[in-house]
Amino acid sequence: MNLKIKFIPYEKFKRNKFRIFLKDLQESTILLIDAKLTAEEEAHVIKETMRKVSGLFTGIELNSLELSNAKKLSNFEKLKNMVIEKLIGKKRGLTIIGPAKTVRQIKKNPEELLLYM
Amino acid sequence: MILNGLRRSLSSLIGAIFRKKKDVRIGLYGPVNSGKTTLANKICMDWIGEQLGKVSIIPHETREIQTKESVTIKDNGKSLTFNLVDTPGIATKIDFENFMKYGLKRRHAKQRAKEATRGVIEAIKWLDRMDLVLVVLDSCVDPLNQVNITILGNLDARNIPFIIIANKVDLKKSKASRIRGAFPNYKTVGISAKTGFNIEELYSSVIETL
Repeated sequence: MNLKIKFIPYEKFKRNKFRIFLKDLQESTILLIDAKLTAEEEAHVIKETMRKVSGLFTGIELNSLELSNAKKLSNFEKLKNMVIEKLIGKKRGLTIIGPAKTVRQIKKNPEELLLYM
Repeated sequence: MILNGLRRSLSSLIGAIFRKKKDVRIGLYGPVNSGKTTLANKICMDWIGEQLGKVSIIPHETREIQTKESVTIKDNGKSLTFNLVDTPGIATKIDFENFMKYGLKRRHAKQRAKEATRGVIEAIKWLDRMDLVLVVLDSCVDPLNQVNITILGNLDARNIPFIIIANKVDLKKSKASRIRGAFPNYKTVGISAKTGFNIEELYSSVIETL
């Protein structure tokens, strides 16, 4: 199987409102974004991918990690992360979006993501 | 967390002031086959004596938004009238071949998949129109999946009040405590929409929340 993974800066994802990456997903490419998407962005991704569902493209598997919400962090560290995130304009973390035909499941574990193909 | 709580209280206070001027809309949201339409039917049967939609074991039976207007529920001398909105199940993937496993012909399965994708889009679009959302989850299934997290995250971000319904508690495999454990900051009511178990608690929570 030819596996393709595309690393995308969050800024590019946001600028293009995800649309330019839909073709990648339809061509079985897994997308890796260097931030945790907001809930609204996740809903937007689901909406946009649903529009493209066909016999060949059946939708996506999506999951993300949020670094600033890790349970082991102290309150001070959480506050520090909040300030940093306000400054950089994104939630620190990782999001994986994979075509459902390629990625069977993405499990959160809870500070790691596991891809089942 | 505190800010979110304040924001929620403020928005429900503002909602309470202006509510009388418009219809209250309560939406049923959740993943596929969690029992949204069964609950909608139970509520409608209890208070207006008629059903809202068709229920099936084949996923994505509800593929369009269905509304029942002017449903009045009562609890402890208080009452609430609202429009009940049953929405298609939210999913991130829809494969027509899955429908064929339930005996649907290829053409019908493809059509069902097409309608189901439109249903998901519509359900997401309708979120902002809701005054209260009942997030219906199947208590036999692990609640920590992306669809549930996305639904709850969106309700939180949009300041829409919601109650989590741990449905199907009549089944042996049910673990409502798993849902409470996964989302400890949110109000959860365990019910069986099919048998009506604990439905009174849901009615009282709805009146209390709005």
